[in-house]
Amino acid sequence: MQRGARPTSCSPLQLPEEYMVEVHLYGKLRRFAAEQDPAGLSIVHVPAREGDTVRQVLERLGIPLEEVGSNIFLNWQYSALSRRVRDGDRLAIFPDDMQLLYRWYFVKAEEQDDSR
Amino acid sequence: MAKILRVNMTERTATFEEVPEKYRLRGGRWLTSSITADEVPPTCHPLGPYNKVILAPGIVSGTNAPSSGRISVGGKSPLTGTIKETNAGTPFSQQLARLGIKAVVVEGYPREKGKFWILHVTKDGAEFLPADEYVGQGLYAAYPALFQRFGKQVAIMGIGVAGEMQMAMAGVCFNDIDGRPSRYSGRGGMGAVLGSKGLKFIVVDETGGPGVSIADPARFREGTRKLSEALRTHAVTKKDGALNSYGTAVLINIMNEAGGLPTRNFSSGYFEGAPKVSGEAIAEGVKRRGGAGKTGHPCHPGCIIQCSNIWPNPDGTELVSVQEYESIWAFGPNCGIDDLDVTGELIRLCNDYGLDTIEAGGTIAVAMEGGLAAFGDGKKAIELMHEIGKGTPLGRILGQGAAFTGRALGVIRVPHVKGQNMPAYEPRAVKGIGVTYTTNPQGADHTIGYTIAPEILSVGGKADPLTPEGKAELSRNFQIATAFIDSTGYCLFIAFAILDIPEGLEGVVESCAALLGADWTTDDVARIGKEILKTERNFDLAAGFTRQDDRPPEFMRYEPLPPHNQVWDVPDEALDSVWEF
Repeated sequence: MQRGARPTSCSPLQLPEEYMVEVHLYGKLRRFAAEQDPAGLSIVHVPAREGDTVRQVLERLGIPLEEVGSNIFLNWQYSALSRRVRDGDRLAIFPDDMQLLYRWYFVKAEEQDDSR
Repeated sequence: MAKILRVNMTERTATFEEVPEKYRLRGGRWLTSSITADEVPPTCHPLGPYNKVILAPGIVSGTNAPSSGRISVGGKSPLTGTIKETNAGTPFSQQLARLGIKAVVVEGYPREKGKFWILHVTKDGAEFLPADEYVGQGLYAAYPALFQRFGKQVAIMGIGVAGEMQMAMAGVCFNDIDGRPSRYSGRGGMGAVLGSKGLKFIVVDETGGPGVSIADPARFREGTRKLSEALRTHAVTKKDGALNSYGTAVLINIMNEAGGLPTRNFSSGYFEGAPKVSGEAIAEGVKRRGGAGKTGHPCHPGCIIQCSNIWPNPDGTELVSVQEYESIWAFGPNCGIDDLDVTGELIRLCNDYGLDTIEAGGTIAVAMEGGLAAFGDGKKAIELMHEIGKGTPLGRILGQGAAFTGRALGVIRVPHVKGQNMPAYEPRAVKGIGVTYTTNPQGADHTIGYTIAPEILSVGGKADPLTPEGKAELSRNFQIATAFIDSTGYCLFIAFAILDIPEGLEGVVESCAALLGADWTTDDVARIGKEILKTERNFDLAAGFTRQDDRPPEFMRYEPLPPHNQVWDVPDEALDSVWEF
């Protein structure tokens, strides 16, 4: 599938494509990474498949969704769990006790905004 | 009955006046902006005889309403030339209110240049005392000396050496809950205006004061209960919530991941060293170093949120209070510095010299851009701050703020609006906040565009932070809501809770209305907010400002900002439409 095209229905002949998403974890979610220094970077590279959403990446990591707050950033964009990831994406996840954001200035990108 | 205390620095008199009927329902920013508009000629020189400084506690300040110890300081700004209101959370506000003082108006011009005074305010009146022995002294030395002299029970407003030298980045200092000189009405150089008038300190002692009278105590209790409940349950404001655990600096990593953390004088929206100066790093450092360190520290008694902190040295002794988002950002990411001990020292110097941390950090970043230091060079940044404190010729230039410094050094990339340096949200990444920076009546300011329950203000529709559509209406509504909150005495951070919990907003309006005996409902919020904004806007228009002043600096239109690689593209017409109401 061409980068930039919107994923539509999957042809039965198309083999699942594996790629990596770079996940940056903060706060109590750092425990899902090897490096857990609160003043450092806690990064996990997660394999994902064509059509996977942020939610599926988190599930693959074993992160309980109830611990995830609303501050999710996919490639620097405030995003919903329903957004699809792509190879090389950067995903940042903050826990539910780090909800602060001047939220009214941000609008959450949803699945339907994924026309990249 | 509450009174207005009029302090005339020409005659050195302090007299109590009845509160005029038109001011009866006003407090905080509503009152300081009203008095400024009514009494200060808009074209006056901000440091001349006709400007005034007005201090007013909020409507419910001094009561047991939660998180309500805010004070508003108003007048004409020497930094921007606009009307200004700048506020802080401090016991000073609560004591003033409990002495029955609705506002202090400082006016006139001293006959003797270079002479400074203390105004000692008690239930019996106000008297002037010479401040000679504190002139030229750091506020970390002066405040303990004043508490020793006047008693631990007092509260103190003061200006530092920056205010004495009438620098445009001089803030107005208030003591925190433990007596530190650390709570600032920082923005806009109002400390310089007090300096021009020769007023160095106001020491207020509420002992034996009448307290705050509440017209309808039962309704007041119900209103404050609703707000307390909202603050205690919301994820941002509750105990062990985001603000309480990590302080406002929790935003460092968050804004960094949003690509909107201004870095190295607004040349990037991402700082690789952000995690080292984050709220998490503070919480961890405080725990590891122990000693005097503390998170969850309140700036005034009665705060439920408690977002302040005390940052310890490696040996556990106290370095500074408070390492908060804007201050850390100004000296940290904005200067390419990734060390909390360095940001802590720079913030401490601001508290000691009497400076606005945002303007000071923004100025150091511009100085770095201009070649006076390399980005990331904390040692040199500290030296530059000492130049300001000593008032050397270079320090006098820096002390005038980022825009003045940029001009002196030939720097084009100066992120300011109306002469005031932008705070810690990059407008090319978060365009709505850029609309607020550019169009509000007071120069680039982040706290002037919060919002509350959207349905009240009919904030609707979808607005992507990176697209220009819909930003004007959003920003207008935010500015209206903020103007109201700034008048109540409640901390602006209640906005996080009352945005999501409608009973919280009801509680805010009910408690204010019950105290005043007014018949307000939540429908009055927008009306009051609009009135305040129009009052301020009209002052600026009469001072000579035009819509051409409501613009971001030019470089933001042609320098794409990584990582979003966006330029400023909100049409000028959209900015102008903010004022179409």
